[in-house]
Amino acid sequence: MLTTLATLAGLALAQQTDTTVPVRAGARLEVNNFGGEIAVKTWSKTAVRVTASHSSRDRIIVDASEQVVRVKSESRRGPSQVVDYEITVPAAMALALSGVYTDITVDGSQGEITAETVQGTVKVSGGVGNVSLKSVQGDVTLEKARGRIDLSSVNETIKASEISGDISAETVNGDISLVQVESSNAEATTVNGDVLYDGTIKDGGRYRFSTHDGDLRVSVPEKSNVSVSVSTFDGDFSACFPVQLVGLKTKHRFTLTIGSGSARLELESFNGDIRLCRPGQLAKDKDWRAKNKDWDKNKDHDQDHDQDQEEE
Amino acid sequence: MDAEAADVALAQSGDGRAFERLYRTHVPRIHGLVRRMISTGEPEDVTQDVFVRAWEKLHTFRGEAAFGTWLHRLAVNVILAKRKTLGGERRRFGEDSGEMLERVAGREREPEHGIDFEEALRRLPDGARQVFILHDVQGYRHEEIAKLLGVVPGTSKSQLHHARMALRRNLER
Amino acid sequence: MSDRWTDRLSEYLDGELGAADVAALEAHLPSCADCQATLEQLRRVVARAQALDDRPPTTDLWPAIARHVGVVSLDARRARRRLSFTVPQLAAAAVALTLLSAGSAWLLLRRPAGAPPSQSTTTPSPILTNVGTYEANPRYAAAVADLERVLAQGRSRLDTATVRVIEKNLGIIDRAIRDAQSALAADPANSYLNLHLAQEMRRKLELLRQAAALAGART
Repeated sequence: MLTTLATLAGLALAQQTDTTVPVRAGARLEVNNFGGEIAVKTWSKTAVRVTASHSSRDRIIVDASEQVVRVKSESRRGPSQVVDYEITVPAAMALALSGVYTDITVDGSQGEITAETVQGTVKVSGGVGNVSLKSVQGDVTLEKARGRIDLSSVNETIKASEISGDISAETVNGDISLVQVESSNAEATTVNGDVLYDGTIKDGGRYRFSTHDGDLRVSVPEKSNVSVSVSTFDGDFSACFPVQLVGLKTKHRFTLTIGSGSARLELESFNGDIRLCRPGQLAKDKDWRAKNKDWDKNKDHDQDHDQDQEEE
Repeated sequence: MDAEAADVALAQSGDGRAFERLYRTHVPRIHGLVRRMISTGEPEDVTQDVFVRAWEKLHTFRGEAAFGTWLHRLAVNVILAKRKTLGGERRRFGEDSGEMLERVAGREREPEHGIDFEEALRRLPDGARQVFILHDVQGYRHEEIAKLLGVVPGTSKSQLHHARMALRRNLER
Repeated sequence: MSDRWTDRLSEYLDGELGAADVAALEAHLPSCADCQATLEQLRRVVARAQALDDRPPTTDLWPAIARHVGVVSLDARRARRRLSFTVPQLAAAAVALTLLSAGSAWLLLRRPAGAPPSQSTTTPSPILTNVGTYEANPRYAAAVADLERVLAQGRSRLDTATVRVIEKNLGIIDRAIRDAQSALAADPANSYLNLHLAQEMRRKLELLRQAAALAGART
């Protein structure tokens, strides 16, 4: 008897909705899902297909007007239960996806994307124009996007690859990795984590990478023109290639000029090391801390020796 | 170098009297913007915060645009940052405000007929009011408004249209 | 009384419709009195918007602003000697540090007397930051206290996992702030440390704002 009831209860929770609505070019998708998944894929039809798994107490509302397709769930009694959405949209459709206990994935988008969650990951492949991805407790991952990119997490990592455009990444307790990036304007900042930037340094560009407790590893392509300013309290600086420190230098702060110095690169790490390498070398450069460092002969080395003793 | 540019340069080097002159020139417009954009909190406090922040950020003004333009943008940022601490951000553009707007725009015979334009503006839902102010009063474009308010430009356009439709009936006063 | 063009009239008015749509709408207008009337009403709303008048606040806010900004309490002589540098240039010069007297804890970095003003090609920025005793700054402390209060009130609306994450990260930022402060105590003229401390304090405020918004927005 009990098993029968349990089975019936199980059946009651697993309901499927499948709706397709036509859309006009220029319309956008808005999905709000308190808990569950939002997975967006693309196709070449001018229509939006919403499939969802949810409890029988909830019904899915797809409200389509000329400008926006809104998807959300409504419960007959009490708050909505968990809903897992799988939505297929035209590639150019702009996406506004939000939730609290929600994992968000997007694949193949060629439109603007805003995705926000609190307890959940955001994983996007694609995006053109304004792309803004946020989580509090969850990784944020982006690839193959171009435009103005804004990535933010609090307690987890940010990873971006194959990006072109302006990029800004911020987290508190996590690493930031920006690879295969083509940008004139990139900023990554964390408190407790490492920053890796393997991308272009373009003439006239502005780049800023900062951490409090972590390492910075930044690629500088050959024939770059960049003024590099390095600030650290208790960290070391090193480079995979010969560098010339110019101007006044203190233990904590110095500049170096590469080529004409056209671009500006600001590197700040309070308590961690800063290393410059060529593109593609950084990923292989895992044990760099143990290697010999290339120092400008005039640099004060006292700090290095203390640092070496502390290293594992 | 005109008088205002001179005052900006002086203020940037720490001259408080120059900054006061800038304040006096710009406070009417800034205060008007603040009064209309916010729905909770005290406009005078917010206006004060705008100018304090302008002082703090003065060194970032590079003279590429007019000082008033820079100050306006800063004011919009201060106003929008405040709404985040006062809560309700997620609901501004949600289902609720959409329904409310459609009801307001659709009504034919309504006591609101008799209220004046500014009061009707005040009664709009936050999102629609802010888009209307930023676009039709302040002259921002939809792309800029979208970035400021954290929405896609399409939302900005539809909210603007809804606001305008709702305000049609209160033009006479 | 709305047809398929009603919702697009604002776009038309703002010149945002594509050429094909413009042609179609303009072909439709002569036969649609409602559309014409609505369009005219929308035009008038926009015109009315541009005619809004602006009045200054009823109370004079300047005294309060001046207090916050520390302008009133500054010695006029010191104010005139403050000069604009980019941070790297400050590091390159010998810096003298003056902590202004009680009331406002502004950190003032100035060039030694005699050296010419910088004619920097990069944008000069006055270094007037109250970071030395940022937490003693009443505005910062008040902002933090406000947000902590909002967070405390709304905390029951956040689940324990989110609260834990936020508290953990506030702790991480606090530790970074303490690191920077103690480094600064030994080296108060260090411009990187000053800016770094300011950055971490802003970050704390930002995280508190984010948390307060989450606590407030959740239903």
